Amino acid sequence: MVNKLKSARVQKDYTQEQLAKRVNATRQTIGLIEKGKYNPSLNLCIAIAKELDKTLDDLFWEDELS
Amino acid sequence: MKSWISFLLPDDEYKEKRVLYFFAEGGILLLFTLVGLLILNNYFHLDAETALLMAIAVFLIYVTGRYTLSGIEYTDIATVGAYSKELRHIMFKTSSFAGIFILLYLVFIGVPSSQNEWIDIIGILVVFSLFWFLTNYISLKRSYKKNKELL
Repeated sequence: MVNKLKSARVQKDYTQEQLAKRVNATRQTIGLIEKGKYNPSLNLCIAIAKELDKTLDDLFWEDELS
Repeated sequence: MKSWISFLLPDDEYKEKRVLYFFAEGGILLLFTLVGLLILNNYFHLDAETALLMAIAVFLIYVTGRYTLSGIEYTDIATVGAYSKELRHIMFKTSSFAGIFILLYLVFIGVPSSQNEWIDIIGILVVFSLFWFLTNYISLKRSYKKNKELL
């Protein structure tokens, strides 16, 4: 799944580890989501979006360019 | 999702999903093993204890092996510094395990009285310590490799 999580995280100035702690996940899970190697549950998507002040569309919706 | 198996599962959802797969695969493999043993029992005489131990071993070795090789145990180890620190921690844990094992043996079983008994106890200690160290070392190595690729 293509997503814009990494850019949103960097924009917010969080490390993978910091974001992971805030959403009750591990650094590895955040890394896997960023690389598109793991599709998170809706609950985790919402927790990440809230933490990064983004909507689910901003982070996970595939637009035509991506 | 509510299930009695939840207490065996990690909090992180990715790890939880992987571990659930390992248990499920182990369960299916266990079923095949039991069917195989049932068929074999018609041709060779297998005593119940051997068959049960084989079935338990298949499940435990499969689940532990998959977990160790999957690289999901050490989720935060992604730098050389963290890797070296964790490796030292594993060495310390292995030494502690060996120390506690020998201490408990001497307290509850007693001091070995012959050379053969000493060889037996040291042999068991070396095998278990080596197994403990190697599984942790492989798991750490695989986790480190996986985490480095995700940075």
